[in-house]
Amino acid sequence: MKKVAIILFPGSNCEEESKRACESAGLVSDIIRWNEPKRCRAYDAFILPGGWSYEDRIRAGAIASHEGVMDAIKEESGKGKPVLGICNGAQILVESGLVPGNLSEQGKFQVELALAPNHNPFVSGYYCTWVNIKKASAKKTPFTSLVDDVFPIPIAHGEGRFVSSDASLLKKLEESGQAIFKYCTKQGSVIDEFPVNPNGSGNAIAAICNKTGTVMAMMPHPERASWMRQVPGMSSQGERAGPGRKIFESLREYLK
Amino acid sequence: MNFSVPLLLLGFLVKSLQPANLLPKNTIFILARKTQVIGKMGGVDVEQVGIHAMADGEISAFLKKNSLALKVEECRKIVELLGRDPTLTEIHIFNIQWSEHSSYKSSKDTLKMLPTSGPTVILGPREDAGIIKFANVDGEQYGIVISHESHNHPSQVVPYEGAATGVGGNIRDVLCMGAHVISSADPLRFGNPFGKNLNKVKYIINQVVEGVAGYGNPLGVPIIAGDTYFNDSFDENCLVNVVALGIIKEKDIIHSAAPPDSAGHDIVIVGKATDYSGFGGAALASVILDADEEEFNKGAVQVPDPFLKNIIVRATEAVFAEIRKRGLALGFKDMGAGGIMCSTSELCDAGNMGGEIDLDNVPVALKDLPPYVIACGETQERFTWISPPEFTPTLLKIYNEDFELPNVAEGARAAVIGKVTGAKNYVLRHKGKIVCNAPVEVITRGIKYQRPGREHKRKFSEPNIPEPKDYNAAALSVLHHPNVASKASIFKHYDTEVQGLAVIRPGEADAGVQAPLPGKYPAVALSVDHNPKYSRISPFHGAVNAVAEAMRNVAAVGAIPYGMTDCLNMGNPEKPEAFRDFTESVEGLSVAAHKLWLKGKQDTPVPFVGGNVSFYNESTKDAQIDPSPIISCVGYLEDYRKAITMKLKQQGSKLFLIGDRKDELGGSAYYDLNQETGANVPNIDLESERERIHAVIDLIDAQLLESCHDISDGGLLTTIAEMVLGGEADGAFGAEIDISFSSLRPDKALFSESPGFVFEVKPENKEKVEHVLKTYGINPIELGTTTAGSKLVVGVGNKRIIGLENEQLKKAWTTGVPEAMK
Repeated sequence: MKKVAIILFPGSNCEEESKRACESAGLVSDIIRWNEPKRCRAYDAFILPGGWSYEDRIRAGAIASHEGVMDAIKEESGKGKPVLGICNGAQILVESGLVPGNLSEQGKFQVELALAPNHNPFVSGYYCTWVNIKKASAKKTPFTSLVDDVFPIPIAHGEGRFVSSDASLLKKLEESGQAIFKYCTKQGSVIDEFPVNPNGSGNAIAAICNKTGTVMAMMPHPERASWMRQVPGMSSQGERAGPGRKIFESLREYLK
Repeated sequence: MNFSVPLLLLGFLVKSLQPANLLPKNTIFILARKTQVIGKMGGVDVEQVGIHAMADGEISAFLKKNSLALKVEECRKIVELLGRDPTLTEIHIFNIQWSEHSSYKSSKDTLKMLPTSGPTVILGPREDAGIIKFANVDGEQYGIVISHESHNHPSQVVPYEGAATGVGGNIRDVLCMGAHVISSADPLRFGNPFGKNLNKVKYIINQVVEGVAGYGNPLGVPIIAGDTYFNDSFDENCLVNVVALGIIKEKDIIHSAAPPDSAGHDIVIVGKATDYSGFGGAALASVILDADEEEFNKGAVQVPDPFLKNIIVRATEAVFAEIRKRGLALGFKDMGAGGIMCSTSELCDAGNMGGEIDLDNVPVALKDLPPYVIACGETQERFTWISPPEFTPTLLKIYNEDFELPNVAEGARAAVIGKVTGAKNYVLRHKGKIVCNAPVEVITRGIKYQRPGREHKRKFSEPNIPEPKDYNAAALSVLHHPNVASKASIFKHYDTEVQGLAVIRPGEADAGVQAPLPGKYPAVALSVDHNPKYSRISPFHGAVNAVAEAMRNVAAVGAIPYGMTDCLNMGNPEKPEAFRDFTESVEGLSVAAHKLWLKGKQDTPVPFVGGNVSFYNESTKDAQIDPSPIISCVGYLEDYRKAITMKLKQQGSKLFLIGDRKDELGGSAYYDLNQETGANVPNIDLESERERIHAVIDLIDAQLLESCHDISDGGLLTTIAEMVLGGEADGAFGAEIDISFSSLRPDKALFSESPGFVFEVKPENKEKVEHVLKTYGINPIELGTTTAGSKLVVGVGNKRIIGLENEQLKKAWTTGVPEAMK
């Protein structure tokens, strides 16, 4: 039986619902604490859930990215095991260099991206709302084989704006198909302004993966859109699968 | 010499004392500066403060010098109760235990008016939080744990930290019942953002909102409800109330008491290292704010640490799982007002036990903290466990090793600080000496005051406002009023989605709805309400309206009101007029709770299972706040799939109104825009209000309504406009209504805040709806229809008085609060 490890860092807060979302998609999962890196080897995929690891000191995700458990995950990721970072998990992946995943001459992951404070004319700082995202790349990843082209999903963060000191990097990532999801309208048009792009993210990018697609950093929360009950205006459909569940179902298919 | 600091403070008062008549002859007092004194009586080894021999003026000076809120006569009472002079630590203990905040000394008797028991109550207002019956699923009875408290003065003095620790305290109260915390709500009252004090008011608004967000978001507790009012009575004294909810199996409840026969059990505290922060917090809540003492008061505000709390919550849930697995009985209590002293003494007393604590075992952040600071300081993020000795190693391991508290925050940990004893004394040791030794019951019992009341001379009259020439402009200005307008710019700061339990979120409907048992359909609805201006005119009717609106709001999503909490934010109870405001408010709550009885249980009131009294809400600069009995109502929904929102769902539906429009604009947003207060607050006919609330619940349960919204702030026009817009102001349908049913002048019909509901009915369901309403004796008014065009049209017969595009409504409604905050 293939198993998913959900990593609890000090300050994570989405581990339980991430586990429930895995289970709803038929994935077996366990929550592993940050101080149990040796357990990682026994798992086949990893989810870094949302939250405020180390209370976002320095930069969101920066301190967790130096935890021993991240060394273990880098090692497992090197074997091709999928790693999904959601929200703060995405910030940790970016801070660890696993996304976009380019290596330095010394063979170390380079930190090339950051998730910067939102640009939002309506609410400064933390912002929680429902948005729509679309698949913006034909790249195959372990997380996206089954997802809808356009679907509603919530965001909840203060730092969700993909930026890079290399002005051309985001463009390059788009060209290489690594910009997996973009913010869009209900009908699927990408409009790079508020409120369609809720945080001013570069080129309206909502998720970026590594070159092979096995590591994905996404700011929106698929585990909060895994039941129709959770989707605004759709609660009468009850416990039926929501659009976010397909991320986890894709992973289940990939691990088969 | 451990007591040099306090003794220097005391020095001028400390004098040689003659044994007084009330003291045993063998008590020795030698109270010269820096001289160690031993009073054997009561097993106390340290200096006693010679209260008994002081004149009243000397006691007053002593109290002021030591920043104690006790009254002179209360000091004398301490001596009487102990049979000797108290130690400084004991004085600090009584200072907190007898504060209004902790003892309810002025409010106890009045609160007895409120119904607190009934078929929906699992636990009434006795422990840290109340528990309301929830669903029975797979043979397990579940309960909803609820706590509702104020954090007003701290939020006025240091708004970010004050608001954040307000959230933190309520969450601790719910957690310590053994529950999983699922949500919170934030009723907020701010000053006039356009008034004379606008800069400070705006600063406080923004900081409080950031503080609420800055605590709940990291912790992972979603905000699912809240309300916000702005008026000048809150200029110098904002109100920050917080409600927190949790879910628990009835059999898993952990009580705030040492278990029976627990002598020899360990007293274990867990959390942040104790420091000076928040020392005197309970006392700060019990005095009038003085702007001149603002710098000093800041020190009494606690410091929040949601990051540490996040980990403590997770570790504590691991402890819950372990003790349930082993079938052990432990006591567990939050540490709030009064810190270690209050938490441990109440745990011991509630279990009919005593306790002995060595303050040297308390992990501290600073050296040489005086014993009364260690005992009574309100350092945040701490809890107390009463643990059987055989379980203590596991308890310590979960916190200190599995979740590594000491590595997560400096000095944080779980530590054994003492033992439960069979003797019913409460003993504190410090550096080998006994600094407190009193019957535990004396410490926890508190005191009581009979306060006189006197009716406020309120002079309110109805204004004579000319009829508006431009009804479009009048409608838009009401929608733009910050008390009416969308609060999205506040609640979008809050994580409403974390935990994944949301069904209906803030703004979508009159109440928030969550499904707390993943995979199951039962749901809980929560609403918080009270319009302060109604209470300015009439504390009684203001309170009645608060209860009625809270119940209407949960009914409007389809939930049955099951229980309430009340947070009574009032003025100085020592002033007879302010005390009368308090008693009238409680009367109003009581009458409404009895008349709006539990659905299906005639004459059984909807109970109050918790709450809080916050007096002294006035500043030295300004008069008191509007009396503010803020109510939260918890509703039960058997199946969340039936819950509905306020947003119109289709074109061609019928729009119905129930609830007559009356000339009741006193305290309304419309009068406020005309610089008037008025006199006619909604005088609710509670019989018909009850029938309307119960009828709406039945209609939603029968799935006969498409959308529903209650009528409150802004009146009928606002209700319809909000249904057109929906919570996200993105509604796709319009409405056309005719108000010729009303004999009132059109502005009064549109803007009167008389209670009622408007709902959307598919044409094919019209007769079924009318039939249900008939069984309740309600004659609905057919207001109009929903339309394809994105437009709101209002006519009086054939004469159109309002025609507004959705975009115009949206602009007015969504910009009101951002402008108030900017």
